[in-house]
This record gives sequence, C-alpha cells and structure tokens, in this order.
Amino acid sequence: MRRTHVRLAALAACAALAALATTAGAGSAAVHAGAIKIGISLSLSGDFSDPGKFAEQGYKLWAKTVNAKGGILGRQVQLIIQDDASSPTQAATNYQNFITKDHVDLVFGPFSTLLTAPSAAVASRYGYAFIEPAGGGPAVFDQKLHNVFFTQPAPIVESGDVFVKWVLSLPKSQRPKTAAYPALDDPFSSPIADRMRQQFEKAGVKTVYKTIYPSENVDMTPIVSKIAASNPDMVVGGTQAGDGYALVKGMVQAKFSPKFLFLSNGPNSPGEFPSKVGAKNTEGIFSSSDWFPQAKTYQNPYFIKQFLKAYGGKAGDIDPGSAEAFAVGQVAQRVIRKVGLDNAKIIAALHQGTWPTVEGTLHWNSIGEPTGQFLLVEWLGGHLYPVLPKSVAVKKPTYPKPGWGG
Amino acid sequence: MLGVLVGGIYALMASGLTLVFGIMKVINVAQGALVILAAYLSYALFSHLHIDPFLSILVVTPAMFVLGVAVQVVFVRSLRGPDATELSLLVTWALALGIEGVLSVIFRTTYRVTSPSYADNTWSFFGYQVGEVRVLAFCASVVLLVLLSLLLTRTRFGRSVRATVQNPTAATLLGVDANRVQVLGFGLGVSMAAAAGAVYGVIYPFNPGSHYDLISRLLSIVVLGGLGSVGGAIFAALGMGVIEAIVAVEISPVWASFSFFVVLIAFLLVRPQGVFGVRERTL
Amino acid sequence: MSRATAASVTRGGAFTAAAVAFPFVFQPAWIVNIGVLTLMYAALATAWNLFSGYTGYITLGQAAFFGLGAYTLGITFQHFGVGSGYNPFFALPLVGAGVAIASVPIAWIALRTRQMTFAIVTLTLLFIVQQLAFNLHGLTKGSTGLMLPTPRFPIDSYDTPFYLAMLAILLAGLALSWAILRSKLGLMLLAIREDEEKARGLGIRVTGAKLIAWSLMVWLSAMVGGVWAYYLTFIYPESSVDPLVMIGAVLMTFLGGRGTLWGPTIGALVLVPAQQYMITRLGASELYLVGYSAVFMAVLLLLPRGIVPSLRDALAALRERRRTHSKPITHEEVRA
Repeated sequence: MRRTHVRLAALAACAALAALATTAGAGSAAVHAGAIKIGISLSLSGDFSDPGKFAEQGYKLWAKTVNAKGGILGRQVQLIIQDDASSPTQAATNYQNFITKDHVDLVFGPFSTLLTAPSAAVASRYGYAFIEPAGGGPAVFDQKLHNVFFTQPAPIVESGDVFVKWVLSLPKSQRPKTAAYPALDDPFSSPIADRMRQQFEKAGVKTVYKTIYPSENVDMTPIVSKIAASNPDMVVGGTQAGDGYALVKGMVQAKFSPKFLFLSNGPNSPGEFPSKVGAKNTEGIFSSSDWFPQAKTYQNPYFIKQFLKAYGGKAGDIDPGSAEAFAVGQVAQRVIRKVGLDNAKIIAALHQGTWPTVEGTLHWNSIGEPTGQFLLVEWLGGHLYPVLPKSVAVKKPTYPKPGWGG
Repeated sequence: MLGVLVGGIYALMASGLTLVFGIMKVINVAQGALVILAAYLSYALFSHLHIDPFLSILVVTPAMFVLGVAVQVVFVRSLRGPDATELSLLVTWALALGIEGVLSVIFRTTYRVTSPSYADNTWSFFGYQVGEVRVLAFCASVVLLVLLSLLLTRTRFGRSVRATVQNPTAATLLGVDANRVQVLGFGLGVSMAAAAGAVYGVIYPFNPGSHYDLISRLLSIVVLGGLGSVGGAIFAALGMGVIEAIVAVEISPVWASFSFFVVLIAFLLVRPQGVFGVRERTL
Repeated sequence: MSRATAASVTRGGAFTAAAVAFPFVFQPAWIVNIGVLTLMYAALATAWNLFSGYTGYITLGQAAFFGLGAYTLGITFQHFGVGSGYNPFFALPLVGAGVAIASVPIAWIALRTRQMTFAIVTLTLLFIVQQLAFNLHGLTKGSTGLMLPTPRFPIDSYDTPFYLAMLAILLAGLALSWAILRSKLGLMLLAIREDEEKARGLGIRVTGAKLIAWSLMVWLSAMVGGVWAYYLTFIYPESSVDPLVMIGAVLMTFLGGRGTLWGPTIGALVLVPAQQYMITRLGASELYLVGYSAVFMAVLLLLPRGIVPSLRDALAALRERRRTHSKPITHEEVRA
C-alpha cells in the first residue's frame, strides 16, 4: 500500500519535472498584431530531420530578409513552425491545427513527398494554396490536386530527362549500346531510373542488368559485381547520396569503369562527393540538380550572400533544400503582392504565367507539376559544373568517362 | 562466402544477446541500439582522435561493459516478480528508444561510416574482390568468440555462468552468487555488442535508426539458434549470413533480409525451440 | 442483473453518450482530430489488452496488423473499388476479418513456442509485413506509397465520420473485453495467465482459447488501421507498420492498467494529449524520443500495474480504513 503511494508520488514528480523541462524549452508563441501568419510543418526530429533543418533555414532566411525590407503589403511575416517528427499523421495534424485552430493566412509545404501528400490533401480540403519545396514525387501529383505548387524546375521523376536527351543527341556511333540500371527502393530513385530506362530502351539501348535494392543495410558488392560482369557501356543509377557513394566506391574496388555514368544523387554534392569516393575518381561523372550556387537565377546571389551572413560556411556547402524553401517564399511574396491574401485568388493566379525564383523561372500545370527541366551537372577537373541546359551551362558536357584515378 | 564474413559479426552480437537471456531470462531489445552506440563511439574516436576502429575495440568494449553493468543495476535488476521477463522486453525497448534519441541529438540523423584509409582495399579470393575490412572484422569476431568460449569453459566465472543458465536454483545452492553472475553477465553481453559495433561502423553506413534493422535480425538469429544457447546463436548467425547473401545475389537484394524471417518461421514449424534450444512448454 | 453488472453497463452507457456527443459539442476540426487520434490509440490499446492483458502473452506484432488493415483497405480501393464516402466504413469489418483469418496460421505457429520466443516471433512479424509492403510493388506500390480516394464529406464536419468509426471500433473492443471477462473464455484465459501447464492439465483447450483472443485482437487492430488509412488518404510501408505507434498503445495499456477493462482507454486519454504537447514543445530540440523513452521507463518501473489497479487499491484501502477505523494490514507487514 505504502509502496503504491510512493510510486504514485514518484510518477507525479517525474511528470512535474517533465513539464518543467518542456516549458523551459518552449518558444514564445505570441502573435504579433497584423502579422501575416504562415503555418509550416517541418521534420525537425526523426528520419527527415537533417533535410528538414535545411528547409527550416531557407524558410527562416526568407522571412528575415522580407521583414527587414518592410514585410509584404506593409505587414510583417510570421512563420509558425511545428515539428512533425517525420510522421505523416503528425504532419496532417499540424496542418489541421494551423488552418482550423491558429487560422493562419497561408501554409507552406513540409519536407518529403511522403509527408507532402497527406498534408496537401488537408490544405486542399480547406481551400488553402499549398506551395511546397520538397514534395516532387509521383505520390503528390497522382492526387491531382489543384492547390499544389512544387517549387523545383520539374517533377523529381524527370530528373534524368536532361541526361537522356543529351545522350540520345550524340552521334549514333558514340552512343552507349548497353546499360545497367541499379536503383534504390524509395519514392524517387527507382521511378527515376525506370523512366530513364524506358526512354533508353525505346531508343535502342539494350538493358543488360537492372536491380532494385532496399534502403537499409545494403551490401553493394554483389550488385557491383553483377554490373561489372555484364559490362555495360553506361550505368544509370537511381540513387540517394549514401548508396550513390557506395556504388562508385564499389565500382572502383571492382576495377570497373563504364564509359557513361549517371547517378541521380551522390555526385551532386559538391562538398561530400570527392571526400567520399576519392577526389581522383570523380572525373566525368554526371548527376542532376535543381539548384546550383553559381546558377544565374532570380535573386540567387542575394540569397547566397544573405545565407552565408546568417549561417556562415561556404556557398558550395549550401544544401539545395534551403534554396527550395527560399523559393517558396519568393513565390508567396510575389503572388501576395499581386492578389492579396485570399487563398482562392492565390491559387488562380499561380496557375497562370511564370514565377521567377532561385530555382529558376517556374510555371505549373493544373496539378502542380512544374514544366521546366532539371540541370545536368558533371565533374570536370575536380569541380562540379552545370553543363546543360545551355542557358545556364558553365562548361560543355565531356565524354566518355576516363578510367578510375585518371 | 561473403555471407560467412557478415555472419561472423552477427554471431558476435547475437551471442551476447542469447547469453544474457540464458543467465537472467531477459531479452535485451536494446542490443541493436548498443551496437549502434558503439559504432558511433568508434566513429567519434576515429574522427577526432584518429584511433583505428579495430584498435578502438580495446577502448569501446570496456567502456560499454561498464555501461552494461550500470544499466543492469539501474533498470533491469529492479524488475522482479512474475512479469519480470515480459517487462524486461519493454524496459529494454524503452532503453533502445532512449539511446536512439540521445544519438539523434548528438550526431543528427545523417548516415555515417567510419572510413579508415584501408577501407577500400580489397583482397583477391578465388576471383572475387573481398573487402579487407570485412575479412579483418570477421577475424576479430572469431578471436572474440574464441575468447568468449574460453571464458565460459575455463574460468570459474564462466562455469558459474553456465551453471546458472542450466539450472539457476541448483547453481545458487552450490554457492554461485546469482546477483554477481547476472550483473557481470549482462555487462559481458553488452561488451560483445560493443566490439561488434566498433567494426560494424566500418562496413555499413549507420544512423540512430539503424538499430531496428539490427535487432530484428538478431532476434531471429537467437530464436533460430535456441534461446540461451551461444553455440546455437553462432551457428544460426553464420547460416543466416550465407542465406542472405545467396538470396541477394540469386533472387534480388530486396528479398535478402526477408529470407531471415521466412527461414525462422519455417524452422519454428518444425522445431519451436530452435536448433539447440531446450524444449519447454511454458516459461 | 447483478449490481456490479448494472454499474458496468451504466459506466459504459455514460461513456458512449459522452463520446458520441463530443464532436457535436466541440466542433472545431482540430479538436475532433485530436479525438480521432485518442480513440485510435484507445482502440489499439484495448485490442492489445484483449490478448496480452488477458493471456499474459506479450505480443509485439500489433503494428503489423494495423498495417495489414491499412493496406488491405487501400488495395481493395485500388483493385476492386469499394465505392466512396461512407461505404468503406462498412467494408471495414470484412477487411478486419480477412486479416484476422490470415493471421491465424502464423499465430498457431508462434503459439507453439514459449512466451519469450512468442514475443520475439510476433516482433519479427512487424518486419515481415513491412518488407512485404515494400517488395510487393504491384500490389502495394512499394516505397512510393498507396493513395486512397478522398471522400466528399462536408467540410465543416469532415473529421466526424472518422471519429465515429474509431469510436465504434473502440466500443466493440470494450464490449468484447467486457463480455470475455464474464464468460467461460475469460476464465480460461485467466487460467492460462496464472499457470498454463495446470490449465492444460485440467483439460482446458489452451491453444483454442488463445487463438480466439488473438483473432479478436487482430480484427480490431486491422479495422483501426483501415480507418487511419482512409483518414490520411496516403499510406506507405514505414508509416503503416510503425513500431512507435504500437509502443504507444502498449505504454498506454500499462499506464492505465494491463488486464483491466478501462485501463487502456484511460491510458490513451492521458497520453495522447500529452504526446501532442510533447511534440509541440520538445520536437524542435530532437528530445522528443528521449522524453518518450523516459515516460515509458517511468511507467514501467514505477507504476507497472497502472492507474486503474492502483486507484482501485487506494479506494479499497480508504473504504477499509473508514470501516474499521484503523490502518489496514499491508502485505509487507504480514510477510514480516
């Protein structure tokens, strides 16, 4: 009996401590009078917390720069950011809270296609525009919602289209005849690889090997040995960063070097890639990107300058996620100036015309897919350069890829 | 072939898990998280102090042994009564979550891998290129498992442990200090995880969430081998490693880890107590 | 009807009335949303308690059935079309039954092992189902995720149908738990929890009893998963088979009182709002998981029997003290 009392008391004490701890960590949620309230659910903990933090930086930087210049329509911008712990249930709950509890003026998108899909549905229900930086996978567009606006040049599944077009533009004798397609099992990577494979197969490039591997705990060695054994002219990988590095390292170890190598992610990290695979091994590898520090897009130098001032570091280390989030803000700013804060008017306005951002000049179709194209980037002389499209290219694409270490 | 190398590391982790169960009937669901913790420690030692990961075993293992003892005394020992075994399952799961949370705060969720200079070297074995680190890791596992078996068979402590596993009551009657065996045994189980973790981090990229994957495989292994049997765990680990590798190459990598569970379920149909387990109807 | 039964029925009726009235009284969507989540966890916890609380066998596979229910509903939409609007809700019991029937063979295999092994085997079910969700691309769309059509419920009360659906499942779970406690099946389960060998020796059909309880748990859990899937309209393997959701339900059961009727629901009523509060405050600092783990440990170590039994004891002691005007003798004193 006494023990139960003691236990209940101890539990109460724990609860009190926990409550104290949480209030200590609480930020102020005071509403500034007349502010434009924007609700954003971000993954600040859990699986997506690293990219979530980059998006947060982009959003906050935008709010800061806009407010420093007097806000929009004379009103300050106030971001209400809530963690969703990388859970779709929580993300949907957050947006419900923003819209029906906090009565925000606008909402911006979360990180990841997987969280964007259910969140966009919530926003659509209440007629809110959903300008979002990171939900570019098929799952978002399959919903055929009219309030979605994805602020990257094209749907993610089209990341490799630039590379395909370029390869198929080469004289027939110089094109690769065979290809291997390793792909990561996630919402983007295998769709990208699949789409590229179908386009190549239609053009007569023979598929000698394709495989999908799971995202955790994968040993690349058997995959690489199979690739090497089938000896393709070209390797097209649907990858994220980690497995992208592992594929390259694996091919180096197996002493296999294809004439054309494209990986959807991995080589597009200017800072990480050389250190992860060896600086001597990067030459001639292609990847795609939605944003580039040297890109001559709207307000890009300004964005970089402000970003470095706020967060330090080097331009080459800025994650595209921050640029994507900043682009959301740019679009919002422009459309609010044009039509005010009515969401229905905002949605109608965004479906027309073009909208300049750091990600390029964007234009959307009726279900939110941007109609531009991604950048093709290549490693040349130890540095990463955009090589296509010609309007933003710094160098021309070179081929074939030299051997490892060369 | 590769499967055997990987299996060796799993064997190391699994032996600790099954040993702890044998001694005190506790399933340490945090074993996977402890492996990851050790991987981070080894990674940190390498990144900041440039200590070779294999050498770091000498540092990480004793440190985690102490941690294991502390955990046992603080959390596990206080579990008494008929529900103790089931509660231990949940308490250690809570511990695993806590470890994952702390690691997320300190190291964030990006994948890390410890990359010493020789990480990319390969040796040629029968026409296959085999990573040097895998072979080294396997050798380290073998050495440690041999040490473990020597500990269990040749020392007095080891005999106490085995006696407790076989028949706790009789062991106590014969003068074995049950408390001491439990505390030290738990620490020992954690040390096995620690050593494995130090080398795991060189081969596989990991982040705080990686422990789920690990513990699911480890649990299948110890059940397959028979709860409480170290020999069974080793056998099952090697077997699973080989099966996984074969499935990855012959069928597809996405089905590789699935094969673990299929084998387990199929086996349990025939022999519910695992390969070397003792058949018991109730706990 | 005995006095105890009348009291139970009154309690049940009062709860039902209050719960049904809730979304009509508190109309803002975000409040009903919290209600949906609370009822979801309450139903899951009650289902878990139905098996693990009564038989004493800890199962760690519930998230698998939640996920199976979610995917089964989703796949039925994709390949067969269940109509839209309210129809899917009526299809749920069938969906749940399908999953339950499919789960019986696995349970039968798992139940041949002893309790610890059983817990582990059910845990591996989690990973098996998740892997299947990933790999059976043609059926589940794999890692890309599966979409369910959005129902055209009136915007003002959009969440209410989902709330009522979750409530219906919870009430079914409570009714089943209550009925079992009073039936022969309940006695069998309690006997199994006390001493399975003895029960078997007395001729009780041990495996049959366990399988019935198991099927009911799976039926309820799968239906909850189905409602959840329909609510979010988008599911993918990691979100549908989420160990954290299951651990939440287990934690709530322990907090409220394992093996009691109302314990799981009370646990959910306490923890879900607390969870939301924790995410709001602690999320940004990544301490959410640590905080969660701390609460879990605290409940397991300090209050392993849960709120309901402890309250019951406290009330009984109070009554005893009032009656005899003296301190009741405690277990410790007797033993000493």
